[in-house]
Amino acid sequence: MRIWIVALNTFRESVRDKVLYVLLLFALTAVLGSKAIGWISIGQDIKIVKDFTLASMSVFGALIAIFVGTSLLYKEIDKRTLYTILSQPMRRWEFVLGKYLGLGLLLGLVVLVMALVSGLYLLVLGGKPDAAYFLAALLIYWKLLLVTSFAVLLSSMASPILGAIVVFALYVFGHATGVFLDLPAQFDGTFSKTLLEGLYYAFPNLGNFDIRAEAANGVPINPSYVLFALAYGTLYSAAVLIAAVWAFENKDV
Amino acid sequence: MHAIATRGLTKVYKNLTKGNKRSLDELSIHIREGEVFGFLGHNGAGKTTTIKILCGLVRQSAGEASLFGIDVRDPASRAKLGYLPEQPYFYEYLTPRETIEFYGRLRGRTPQQRAEDWERLSLLLDLRDIAEQRIKGFSKGMRQRIGFAVALVGDPPLLILDEPMSGLDPVGRRSIRQLILRCRDEGKTLFFSSHVLGDVEQICDRVSILSRGKLVREGRIGQLLGEEPHGVEVVATGLNEVSRAPIAAAAREHRTHEGQDVFVFDEAAAAQEAARAILDSGAALESVTPLKQSLEEFFMKEHGATAAGAGA
Repeated sequence: MRIWIVALNTFRESVRDKVLYVLLLFALTAVLGSKAIGWISIGQDIKIVKDFTLASMSVFGALIAIFVGTSLLYKEIDKRTLYTILSQPMRRWEFVLGKYLGLGLLLGLVVLVMALVSGLYLLVLGGKPDAAYFLAALLIYWKLLLVTSFAVLLSSMASPILGAIVVFALYVFGHATGVFLDLPAQFDGTFSKTLLEGLYYAFPNLGNFDIRAEAANGVPINPSYVLFALAYGTLYSAAVLIAAVWAFENKDV
Repeated sequence: MHAIATRGLTKVYKNLTKGNKRSLDELSIHIREGEVFGFLGHNGAGKTTTIKILCGLVRQSAGEASLFGIDVRDPASRAKLGYLPEQPYFYEYLTPRETIEFYGRLRGRTPQQRAEDWERLSLLLDLRDIAEQRIKGFSKGMRQRIGFAVALVGDPPLLILDEPMSGLDPVGRRSIRQLILRCRDEGKTLFFSSHVLGDVEQICDRVSILSRGKLVREGRIGQLLGEEPHGVEVVATGLNEVSRAPIAAAAREHRTHEGQDVFVFDEAAAAQEAARAILDSGAALESVTPLKQSLEEFFMKEHGATAAGAGA
């Protein structure tokens, strides 16, 4: 219950923050501007619009997750708003999860608004926003939740700037973990190969959430793959959040 | 049962570059229910660290602390606690009404109870005119009023107030002092730190003095300052040189102030004798007043002794 109170308050804070509207405006501009790129590729405009709008959801969502998420706990400590909250009969993990869920709600709203606007725009252009398109949006949202969990973990340990750099690096690496496995034959049996393979499994593989190309090209999506990606994101986020709670539990504020 | 109890409470802040800092050193205090307890000490003495441990914000390195018998590491210990930090900060995007509502929800108050809380606290703290304004831009005094209201959400029997009068103008200080007195009259347990020793002297039943993380004195104010007066002041006007000299010789201290002679005697008997001599000389006896040590004098003396002890 207290988790929900903190979550709703975090959501309210973000909604009352004008920065969110600026970001959302940029995102929607990018969605509507995708037609311009569609013009360049003759006959491919619907495909390009789908691809570009999904990419916009991913990038702008990640920006919100990183910049809002990495200041989520830090700001509470820095501005001392935490004093009167943690002195209530509530557990610290309730507070951490509440903050996480609050930002999760906000990202859900952002992705939903962008998906609906993009869907309507596709209809106007004569395209069809099918189930694959919305499944792709759902996986993007799940990826953002995973990125948010890292942001929350960092926000309990580091300044927002440092946290944002680290999470941004994770976001970039997370989309390219395949390179750790894709090594030339001369690496076989070396320590480097073992190390890079270890990194492959340790880093979150954000590529697992990327079905943008399939959605844009109308390739059928296997439901079991979507379930796998959702389960992967849920378990990974849960593990990172446990670490965030552990880091925050004994922190002196 | 004690409202607050600590035994051997110790806090060491670990710092890899600057070295460890022992902020609190085996503090043991017991505060009974319904008691008003003043927590004194210079800056950095460990007052805020103690309060933060009691409120669950900082974890002790050693020792025990409990509120109404429940270990402070258990959040349930804070069910009967209201806390006002030294500089209370709240979400700037909320209004006072939303703030009280938010904390009421966190304390598990029902909608009916939350409505009652607002009615009671907005009236008590004079928040109705600013009920719908966002806290952003509020003055220190207004924030302090909201802080006090938040501490009183759910009507907790124990209040911990960290420097509740710091940074307030005389009007703000007076209003906070009246609030504290009101809570005392309602039978609440009050534990507060303050630099304003005059207020502590007026309000508190007992005080403790902390220096460099250690408890140096604790007791009832009357006990600490001494029940007996530590001198008697005699004031006279119109004394001539001949009459003044023997009285001044018998006094511990003599000064003239705005045409008046002020004598301070160690013993009441000597003061009586001086008063008689003043009247016999034909001069006017203005006053005879027993002198008591103020808490400020006592505090400065204790602080000086501890600092000297640490320096030796």
